[in-house]
Amino acid sequence: MTISNILDRRYLTEDTFVLRVERHSKIIKAGQCFSIGTRNLGINREYSMYSSSSDEWIEFLIRKIDQGAVSTELGDIQIGKSIEVHGPFGEFCLSEETITTNKFLFIASGVGIAPFSSFVKSFSNLDYSIVHGIRYENEKYEYQQYIGNRYFPCISRPKERSGRPMRVTDYLKTLSVANYSKIYLCGNQSMITDSVEILKAKNFLASEIFTEVFF
Amino acid sequence: MKIAISYPPIFNALGQKAMVSQNRNVQFFKKPTYLLPVIHAQAATWLNERGYEVFWDDGNSQLKNFQTWFEDLIVKNPDVIVFESTTPVMKFYWNLINRYKVIKPNCIIILTGFHSMRKPEESLENSTVDIVIKSNHIDFILVRILDSIKNSPDWRNTLSVEGLAIRVSPEIIRNTGNFVQVEPLDNSPIVNRKLVSWKNYAYENGNFLRTPGTYATSVIRDCMFGKCTFCRYNGPELTFSKMSISKSVEEYENLIDEYGVREIFDDSGVWYRGKDAQEFANEIIKRNLHKRGTYFGINTRFEYLDEETIKILAAANFRFILLGLEAADNYTLDRLNKGYQIENVEKTLQLMTKYGLHPHLTIMVGYYWQTKEQLDLTVETVKKFMFKGLARTLQVTLCTPLDFTPYHQECIRNKVLLTSDYDDFDMSKIIVKTPIPHSEYYKAVRKLYSISYSPKFILRQVLFLFKFRVRDWEFLFIYGIRALRRVRQHIFNLTRNEIK
Repeated sequence: MTISNILDRRYLTEDTFVLRVERHSKIIKAGQCFSIGTRNLGINREYSMYSSSSDEWIEFLIRKIDQGAVSTELGDIQIGKSIEVHGPFGEFCLSEETITTNKFLFIASGVGIAPFSSFVKSFSNLDYSIVHGIRYENEKYEYQQYIGNRYFPCISRPKERSGRPMRVTDYLKTLSVANYSKIYLCGNQSMITDSVEILKAKNFLASEIFTEVFF
Repeated sequence: MKIAISYPPIFNALGQKAMVSQNRNVQFFKKPTYLLPVIHAQAATWLNERGYEVFWDDGNSQLKNFQTWFEDLIVKNPDVIVFESTTPVMKFYWNLINRYKVIKPNCIIILTGFHSMRKPEESLENSTVDIVIKSNHIDFILVRILDSIKNSPDWRNTLSVEGLAIRVSPEIIRNTGNFVQVEPLDNSPIVNRKLVSWKNYAYENGNFLRTPGTYATSVIRDCMFGKCTFCRYNGPELTFSKMSISKSVEEYENLIDEYGVREIFDDSGVWYRGKDAQEFANEIIKRNLHKRGTYFGINTRFEYLDEETIKILAAANFRFILLGLEAADNYTLDRLNKGYQIENVEKTLQLMTKYGLHPHLTIMVGYYWQTKEQLDLTVETVKKFMFKGLARTLQVTLCTPLDFTPYHQECIRNKVLLTSDYDDFDMSKIIVKTPIPHSEYYKAVRKLYSISYSPKFILRQVLFLFKFRVRDWEFLFIYGIRALRRVRQHIFNLTRNEIK
C-alpha cells in the first residue's frame, strides 16, 4: 500500500471525473486495477487504471455513485491531499507479444472504458476498435484520444432528434466480428452477459473473449 | 440417466475424515464440520429439474465408512459420477477412479474441482477419468454436457461444450478450450434442500450459533475481488457473477418458512457490499425476516463495509461476519494482494461490534517469508482484538500452497516447497522453507487458539452479557461449549506434525 498525493482532478461530466495521483515507483501493466480510498475512511474500492502504463502518474476514471462512500469522497477531496492506494492487481491486460499480431475489439459500458483507454495510451501500434455503451452524449469520455474512426459510441438516451437510442448489444448484432482476433469487455454484468451471448452466436471463440465485470 | 454427485469418505491413518466440499482447503478432522457443497448442490438441483435421476451421494455427511459408501455406489450403478478434486486427495481419487472403472467400465466419471481444473492432463494420465471440467461453474457445464452425452453415442468426439478435457481413447485427449461463465447466476437454480438432505449439514458446523442452520445458495460466484494470491478464487478462468437480491431473499424466506432454519450463512467468497448489501438487508427487514429468530452470516473483506451498511446488516439480524485477517503486518498483506491495511482493521471491527455483529477472524501462519517479528505481531494483534471484544471467534490455518494458486506457483518458482507429494498438502504441517523454525508457527497456532481459554477473553464475553442482547448470552452458554470442543481438535490437527 502506498500513500499517494492527489495531483489533479478533472470533471468530464457532472458526476464523472478523472483523478490523477502520484505513481511512486509502482510497476504497472496497462489495464490493471487498484483499490483506493481516502485516508482513514477505512474502506476502499477497486478502479481500473485510465492512464498509460508509462505515465509518471496514475489516473482513474470515476463516476460518483449515489451514497457511494468512496466515490463521493474521492470526488470531493482537495488536490494535494493524499489517498491510500493498494495494487496494482489483476490480469485484465494485453500480452505484449500479441499486440502487433492481433486486431482487438474493446467493448465497454460507462466508465468501463478506463482499461481500454489505458491500453490505447500504452501501446501506440495497437489495432483496435472500441464500442462504448453510454447513456448520454457527454459520456464519451475524452473520445478524441481514439483516433481514426475507432470509437463507436452507443448512446441509449440521445438528445431529442439527435439520433436513435442505441445499446451496445444492438450495435454488436450488426457488427461483423470475423475481423477481430480478441475481444475484451469491461463494464456492468448485464452488458457483458448479453454481449458475450451475441458474440458466441456469431461463433466467436469463447477462449478469445476476456471480461472484467464491474461491481 | 442416473447421475451421482459423489463425495467419498476419505480417511487418513489417524482415522480422520477429509473435508472435501465447497472447493475449500481440505483438512482432516475426527469431528468434522459438514459443509454443503453449494455449487454441486445447484448442479444436482438443475439436473433433477431437467429430468435426470440424481443421486446425492455425500458419504461424509451421510456418516458412511468408505467400504459402505463404495458398495452402495456399485449397487446404485449410476451412469455418470461427479467427483470434486483438490490437491491433498488427488492420489486417492485417481486410485478410486481406476478401481471403480475396473468394476463398472461403462460408467462415465467426471472430475471437478480446482486442482484438476488447473492441471487436467495430470488426472487424465494418472487415472481412467473420462472428463475433467476446467471451470468452477460445474452446474452450468453439467447441464450442457449431459444432454449431449445422453443423445450422442459418439460424444467423446462430438461434445463441443467449452471448458472440458475429454478422454477420446486411452491415448487421445481432446481439449475444448476455456469455459468462461458469462450467463447470469440467476439462471442456476436455488438448491433443492430435500434432494441434498440438508439436515445432514444443519448441526455440525461451528458457524451456526442456532441450529438447524444452512448455507444459502451463494449470491456471488467466484470472487468480486479475486486477487489474493493464496486463494483459489484467483485466475484468468474465473469470472465474478452475482445473483439478484430478490432471488436470494426469496430463498431466505423459504428456508425460514418451509424448513424452520435458524441460522443462514452465505459462503460466497465475498458477499455483497455497498448498495447491494444495504438493499438486501432492507428487503429482509421489509419482509420481517429479521424478527423470525434466524441469524444471518456472511464472508466479507476488510475495507469493504462502511458504517451505514454495517448498521443496516445488524438491524436485519445479521450476526456472524467472517473476515480474513491473514497477517498483522502490511508487508505480508501487500505480498498476498489483500488490498487492505492493518491500520484500518481495528476500525472495521469496532464498527461491527458496536452494532452487535460477531466478527470471526481467519488467520494464517507459515508464509515462506514470515519472520518471527511478523508472526509475533500477528499473534499479539489478534490477542488484542479478542481481549478487547472486537472479534468473537477465530480460526487459524497453516498457509499451504494449493491447487496452483499464484502463491503455490510462487513457492514452486522460488524453490521453497519442501515436498511434491500431494498427500503432504493437507494443511496439517508447514511444507515450505521458512526463515524461522517451523516450531515457531506451531507455537503461534497454540497461542492463538488458547485465547479462547484465557480468563481475559472469558471475562470479556461475560461483560457482553450486560449489553442484554440474546445473541451474547447464546454465544457464551451454547456456542462457547461447542467451540471449546473444537479448539482442542484444531490445536491437535495443526500441531501434530511438530517435531518435538
